[in-house]
Amino acid sequence: MSTSPYRLPLALPRIARVERGSALAGVCAGIGKALGVDPTLVRLTFALLTLAGGAGIAAYGGAWLALPVEGEPDPSRRRRLLGLVVVALAGAFAIRGLGLADSIVWPAALCGVGLLLVRRGTASTTLGLLLVGLGVVAFVDQNAGGDASALLEPSAVAIMLVLVLGPWAWRLAAERDAERTARIRSEERSEMAARVHDSVLQTLALVQREAGDPKRVAALARRQERELRSWLYPDPHTTGDGLAAAIDGAAAAVEELHGVPVELVRTGDAPLDDRVEALVLAAREAMANAARHSGADEVSAFVDAGDDEIAIFVRDRGRGFDPAAVPPGAHGIAESIRSRMARAGGSATLTSSGEGTEVELRLPRPS
Amino acid sequence: MKRVVLVDDHDLFRAGVRSELGAAVEIVGEAASVADAVPLIRELDPDVVLLDVHLPDGGGQAVIAQVALERPGVRFLALSVSDAAEDVIGVIRAGARGYVTKSISGAELVDAVQRTADGDAVFSPRLAGFVLDAFRSGEAAVDPELDTLTTREREVLQLIARGYRYKEIAARLHLSVKTVETHVSAVLRKLQLSSRHELTRWAAERRLI
Repeated sequence: MSTSPYRLPLALPRIARVERGSALAGVCAGIGKALGVDPTLVRLTFALLTLAGGAGIAAYGGAWLALPVEGEPDPSRRRRLLGLVVVALAGAFAIRGLGLADSIVWPAALCGVGLLLVRRGTASTTLGLLLVGLGVVAFVDQNAGGDASALLEPSAVAIMLVLVLGPWAWRLAAERDAERTARIRSEERSEMAARVHDSVLQTLALVQREAGDPKRVAALARRQERELRSWLYPDPHTTGDGLAAAIDGAAAAVEELHGVPVELVRTGDAPLDDRVEALVLAAREAMANAARHSGADEVSAFVDAGDDEIAIFVRDRGRGFDPAAVPPGAHGIAESIRSRMARAGGSATLTSSGEGTEVELRLPRPS
Repeated sequence: MKRVVLVDDHDLFRAGVRSELGAAVEIVGEAASVADAVPLIRELDPDVVLLDVHLPDGGGQAVIAQVALERPGVRFLALSVSDAAEDVIGVIRAGARGYVTKSISGAELVDAVQRTADGDAVFSPRLAGFVLDAFRSGEAAVDPELDTLTTREREVLQLIARGYRYKEIAARLHLSVKTVETHVSAVLRKLQLSSRHELTRWAAERRLI
């Protein structure tokens, strides 16, 4: 970095004329894009500047000369130089229009062109510095008057120093910022690495060891996926303490316990109370039953938390069964689902056929 | 046989899809980035593009944006591991005919490609859930035709979210499969054109508008 030619490290973004969304030659749209402001605002500024003796029109023309078209190579040096001079002149005229004295405006314009030249690199640096110097001397000369030659030297030197050293100080600050950004980035990276090591790499090691057991491998992959997903795409509901988080937990537990993936779809959320908790437990039992008994390789669950009621549907495409033929001693459906829902003031409906089973749980919400 | 272009930056995944789709469709081309995909699709003019939502240089939306106008006959089916709502909604609003997750089985994927090629909408249960959420009542609709779902559409979406297939939905609601497809296509259209607040917010966050 220290070997690069001296350039003003002004953090100017690269400005280019934009062809899409342009009104005239794309100058305003380009400036707006580079600075991140609405092009209309830029256009308005140019229009206002036009009132100052036509400075806006001249500045626009200069910018048109100096700026490259987006995605194309820079215009020739000569053209850029001419454009910059025109812009600087227009700027000077505009500032004069604001009522500032000639003695400030013209030296400032000289300095401006000089600085822009310095910024462009080695070849024009000498010329640029010369112009800056000329500008500063003119400024001091004009404002101090002929009689205060004692004042001339120190103030001219001071201004020169500020103009030449200021950019260096600026660059140092910019470098420090860049270092900080790099450090933050590397910290983020090591946090990411730690996370990947703790979870993904461990899982991959397990997968290799248990490669002979497809069901176990699928369960491992599934658990890892869920974990990674909740980290990458955090869902505000999942981290909350409402129905959505509870049902996510129940589905995850069933997957873990029985090794069958549960495709869970939710809409809405509801606060958790005793009744809603009972609903979640009933849904968990229904999911576990489907995972354990249906023989299906996937269970679908849909949780619809509406304003009037919460409905949960648990469906599998397994072998199905005849609800009437379930022995009375079998606890699952009768106690864990039906009675629990009845006590909470809701209902449970079960349909089963050769094409699978669906349990429908409904719980009215108090209005 | 339907001609399919596969756009995904993971070689392994492309290989997997290729072997799963195998004899059912003809995979005429593959690309791993937006820059490669755009000229390839323009040149091959396939029936269906299977499109990964996340690509290193801009994402599936960028591909759709650059191709859709010139090649209106090409239909896009988005495929992703991401289930984030804004990704799903974003790619649909960009013009995809549907969205399936990468965990979909081979047979289901073949069916989804076929459906996409026929111009139907492909809704996974998860997408149906997102749509129901986005169109949840409670907010005033600006354009009732686009900003609200009919009772029938809502019923169809709820059944999709419950894991029902179109045929089962038709049987349950005493409709023809064609009618179910019409309802789903209508929902897709609303999803793409509605200015409903939630959709606009999602889209704005992803800089789609």
